[in-house]
Amino acid sequence: MEKKLAIKLNKVHKSYYLSNGEEIPVLKGIDVEIKIGEFVAIMGESGGGKTTLLNIIGCLHPLTSGEYFLEEENIGEVRDDYTLAYIRNKKMGFVFQQFNLFSRLTALKNIALPALYLGINKEEREKRAMILMQGVGIETRANHKPTELSGGQQQRVSICRALMNDPDIILADEPTGALDSKSGIEIMNIFTNLKNKGKTILMVTHTAEVAKYADRIIYLRDGKVIDNNYKLTSDY
Amino acid sequence: MLLEIIKMALESLYANKTRTILSMLGIIIGVSTVIAVFAIGQGAQKAVNDQFQGLSANSIIIMSMRGRGTTASSKLKTEDAQIIIDNTEHVSGATAVIQGNKNIAYGSESNSLAVVGIDEKYFKTSSMELDQGRLFTEDDIKNEEKYVVLGSGAIESLFPDEQIFLGETIKVDGKKMEIIGSIKETGRSMGPTKTDDSIFIPNSTAQKSILGSDGQIMIYALADNVDNIEIATQELTSALREEHKLKSTQEDDFRIMDAGSMISAAQDTASLMSLLLTSIAAITLLVSGIGIMNVMFVTVAERTKEIGIAKAIGGKQGDILTQFLLESVVLSIIAGSIGIIIGNGIIIIVNSTNLSSLITLAPSAKGILIGFGFSVLVGVFFGFYPALKASCLDPVDALRSE
Repeated sequence: MEKKLAIKLNKVHKSYYLSNGEEIPVLKGIDVEIKIGEFVAIMGESGGGKTTLLNIIGCLHPLTSGEYFLEEENIGEVRDDYTLAYIRNKKMGFVFQQFNLFSRLTALKNIALPALYLGINKEEREKRAMILMQGVGIETRANHKPTELSGGQQQRVSICRALMNDPDIILADEPTGALDSKSGIEIMNIFTNLKNKGKTILMVTHTAEVAKYADRIIYLRDGKVIDNNYKLTSDY
Repeated sequence: MLLEIIKMALESLYANKTRTILSMLGIIIGVSTVIAVFAIGQGAQKAVNDQFQGLSANSIIIMSMRGRGTTASSKLKTEDAQIIIDNTEHVSGATAVIQGNKNIAYGSESNSLAVVGIDEKYFKTSSMELDQGRLFTEDDIKNEEKYVVLGSGAIESLFPDEQIFLGETIKVDGKKMEIIGSIKETGRSMGPTKTDDSIFIPNSTAQKSILGSDGQIMIYALADNVDNIEIATQELTSALREEHKLKSTQEDDFRIMDAGSMISAAQDTASLMSLLLTSIAAITLLVSGIGIMNVMFVTVAERTKEIGIAKAIGGKQGDILTQFLLESVVLSIIAGSIGIIIGNGIIIIVNSTNLSSLITLAPSAKGILIGFGFSVLVGVFFGFYPALKASCLDPVDALRSE
């Protein structure tokens, strides 16, 4: 049986406008389909629109035109804060290159924050946060602040935060970009584990060592998808 | 959930101690300065009011010309009070006061005190109350008795240790006089002279043997009605000119002031000062407001990024704004309260030093309200407004802010 689609983009355009009204097109008609449970990497040249594409899928940015189906529901036109916040909160988890943790909060509180926004009580959310931390081996760091953690540990905290409300989709923007190669491999192993547990993962990267963990690679150039199933030329 | 957001706001304030303290500083300085400035204004106003307390608006004061650059020696006498009463229609009463500073000695204690020569009506018309002993009688005045009634401050300086002074003899300018009574503390002053630090003697005695030509004679007359001040003034002027045998070409050898114009002149001064202080307060608020604004704006980038993260992980605009609003409100109110404490502390400290002989600072509710209200509003506005703006950005744009 054909797997259901997690994400489908249809002729998606995104433009930025300069203050003098000049239009800078970044995405020029993107068609993308991602199945539930698929681990997809987005590669491409700098300025090709990789991050913009991921941000649109993550509802951090509205698209300019086109259709965006999330679990077969068109949300391309949704602009109201309440719905978008709910999608970002419950439907997907975001992992950033620069972690984007709250420096004043402990690892545990950082992880539990999305559940606070969902209205889950403290006991329950901290219990779940601890389980997530155990899953990636940082439970002993629960009460440390981000500045007291290594880059790899911080990225694991941010993965736990992305998983807090048990979303089906994980979006990651260069998740290993700020890490050494050993930590990078550890992070990618976590992603592989998540995929095996049935999560849909969409990851932006520019390095083949990272992209090779994905089931499929979408290649972007100049705001267009030039290959929906890009093959790496040599073994990494 | 709201409780948790409040807790988060407090934690955030605590975690960003430097930012919190800097933001609070502007508010604290603003509130405390405004409170202090208003207290000075209030104190000045009170000082003016105290000075003229007991002086009713229908009082007319007649003074000798001495020391006013005139060669003519003053002819104003204590007896002129009676002349005024007898020869005017719209003057309901008049009492003569002769005043000067003299050396007063009791045993080894010796002080220079204000000596005020008065008649038997004086205490009543200036509503001073007997404390111990008795006051002057009409006969005391007529007979030029060597009797003294003491103000409470004068008792303290002449009899620092002893409680009994009635019947004692003190030397006023070397002349022995007997203490017959004392008056209750008034806290008032007549021009530069504090009533409580004065000693009172019959004006006849003062004119004849104690102050003589050294004394400044003043006659306090009362118009029968405030509206009749002008006509009463004319009447007593002509009565005195006649008594002093002045030709129509000669100028008055006395000068007349009515309490109404004196009070309004003093009040003009006080309100000018009040205006000045209000301007200072306004400038203070402006400067502290700019200070608060600066600190808040410096942290905008940091906060914008925090808002971006919060939105990216699913924070609703409402939740985020509630947190930032609470943060600003809590910070501003705590800082405002510290400002009130410091402002009132300044007042207490100033009042406990010897500066208080010049002016007593009076805390004013208006100062507290204006200082607190303005600073807290500025604090809340500049704490909240950037958050409001940031929360309207796309999460991506907010995240980019660094």
